[in-house]
Amino acid sequence: MRILRNLRQALHGLKLNKGNTFLMTLGVMIGIASLTVIVAIGEGTKSTVLERIANMGFGPESFSVYSGGGRLFFGRNRNITSMTLQDADDIRAMPGVAIVVPRQRKRMRIINKKEFTTTRVYGVSPEWQPARQWKVVDGEFFNDMDMDRKRKVIVLGNTPARKIFGEKDPLGKKIRVGQVFFEVIGLLETKGLTESGYDPDDRALIPLTTAMSRLFRQAHLHSIKVVSTSSDIVRQTMEGVTQVLRRNHGLSPLADDDFRFVTPEGIMQWVTESEQALNRMLLLISTVSLLVGGVVIMNILLVSIRERIREIGVRRCFGARRTDITQQFLFESVLVSLLGGAMGSVVGWVLSSSLKYFDFLPVKITLDPFVLAFGFSMVVGLIFGIHPARKAASLSPDETIR
Amino acid sequence: MIKVSKMIEIDSINKVYKNEGFETNVLKGISVSVDEGDYVSIIGPSGSGKSTLMTILGCLGQATSGTYLLGGEEVGKLKDYDLSRIRNEKIGFVFQAFHLLPGVSAFDNVMMPLIYCNKIPDDAQERVKQALIRVGLEHRMAHTPGQLSGGEQQRVTIARSLINDPKIILADEPTGNLDSKNGAEIMRVFDQLNAEGRTIIIITHDSFVSEHARRILTLRDGQIVSDKINENFKEPQAGLARVEVK
Ligand SMILES: Nc1ncnc2c1ncn2[C@@H]1O[C@H](COP(=O)(O)OP(=O)(O)OP(=O)(O)O)[C@@H](O)[C@H]1O
Ligand SMILES: [Mg+2]
Repeated sequence: MRILRNLRQALHGLKLNKGNTFLMTLGVMIGIASLTVIVAIGEGTKSTVLERIANMGFGPESFSVYSGGGRLFFGRNRNITSMTLQDADDIRAMPGVAIVVPRQRKRMRIINKKEFTTTRVYGVSPEWQPARQWKVVDGEFFNDMDMDRKRKVIVLGNTPARKIFGEKDPLGKKIRVGQVFFEVIGLLETKGLTESGYDPDDRALIPLTTAMSRLFRQAHLHSIKVVSTSSDIVRQTMEGVTQVLRRNHGLSPLADDDFRFVTPEGIMQWVTESEQALNRMLLLISTVSLLVGGVVIMNILLVSIRERIREIGVRRCFGARRTDITQQFLFESVLVSLLGGAMGSVVGWVLSSSLKYFDFLPVKITLDPFVLAFGFSMVVGLIFGIHPARKAASLSPDETIR
Repeated sequence: MIKVSKMIEIDSINKVYKNEGFETNVLKGISVSVDEGDYVSIIGPSGSGKSTLMTILGCLGQATSGTYLLGGEEVGKLKDYDLSRIRNEKIGFVFQAFHLLPGVSAFDNVMMPLIYCNKIPDDAQERVKQALIRVGLEHRMAHTPGQLSGGEQQRVTIARSLINDPKIILADEPTGNLDSKNGAEIMRVFDQLNAEGRTIIIITHDSFVSEHARRILTLRDGQIVSDKINENFKEPQAGLARVEVK
């Protein structure tokens, strides 16, 4: 077919003018590379957050209240010490509240003889287990008595247990957390790494009272998890909690809350909002860079047509029609743009993969941006190729040959 | 008497180039007709309009006024689509500066006119090979223009002009970039093409070249000032051996 023959001539032209071809691909390449990387980061962040929600053990009837104002994971002031056990007790006394789990947490080093690792150590009340519904597969969870006596007992997640005990059985062994010795009384069921690399098993649990007086040596709480009796009254319960906490913390009516709620709904809303913001940014970046890429192609093509005016003339002398020349140059611009898109996709994929490999950012590589890249480069090639192509075809043969 | 049909008939052709601020009247009322199978050379001083006349004869550009009948068809009324077809099927061009596609093999250069046929002939590859054999370049098919001598390049352009078996060959100073030995060889090919019945029009500065033609037109300042039969013309014989390569 004639059009395929023109396609071949275009391929040939690109091969002959390698320098120009390379320059033309650059703009589109950069545009597509950044597009794919941004999408991968966006997707990665989103799925990390969604996995976290899933791993927080939230049901629709539960929420957490964290110390310090602000929103979700972005606490405004991490030094706030106003949340106490009293708050937890007052919430527990509210109607419609089923379970309350006051929590403290800190990253600490845990040591078994010469083996050690760092893990998230939580001080929690025994209600943690029914609230989270996380099974203990070996040994048992601590109980109210351990709480009352401030016993130095610890329940390990699979990750720290494996790291410091290897294949050995940790039950009954003494390990050191910071400067304090604990007895391992239980092992949590293994959940396994999430897709984005978050490790829910990387944790250890001790009685809250022990944490307060013997390990962390602090009275204030990090957060309180609340499970209400039904999901219908969650909103109402949160309002009640707000009143209790504001009163207990002695906040004046004008002062901001010094605590913040984390709910599955709130997180989802935040995910949606950040996704929208990201999409807007994406649109801007890719439009600008592809526009630049397109203008680069157009200009280089215009220059190259001047350089190749003889070639155009000779083809016309031997029977090429205007449409043949238009097609040839349009093919050149589309091919070059697609090539740029392909190169950009490869670069984007490599960048995203290395971000993932080196754990810089949460990254999730999906097919969408690459399909999008293909479409975008095609459109850019067509839009910015049409002017040079028509210009090349409009030259009269007798002017191009002399 | 053999009945000879008119291949080219032009009548009162004018060509005016319009540029910003001034006009150049290059061809001034040229009328001439060329029989099928004729062998014509056009001579004349530089700037007299020879190349311009050739672009019109070759359907590369339109005359400003006047009529041009090519094989009975009025060229002035044709659109780009049909002009392209005529250039593709009826005319073969040979240029002083060769105008081969750079970086493209001799084979693909000769093939080029065929890709602009509506349908590539089935025997295209074979035809290209035969054309190259004919000009003695079967051992240079994969060479690009940069890897060929001037004489070889001009032979490639002749093979290219022949590939679609055109009735007319238009050559603008085909020997201008060649030494006398290569020039003579090229002229022998033209003689032979004429012997096969093709109409040949050669523009030249070189009296050696014009001596090969049956008829010599002289152009001066955009007008034909003489139209003579060449008395020294030796009727070339068809079926002569192909160009020998030494
Ligand atoms: N596009 C153009 N615009 C204006 N003038 C032109 C244009 N093309 C050619 N001319 C003029 O037309 C005249 C004839 O040019 P042409 O190329 O036909 O001459 P020629 O007889 O082939 O000369 P030469 O022997 O040097 O090749 C020249 O004076 C040239 O300057
Ligand atoms: Mg000339």
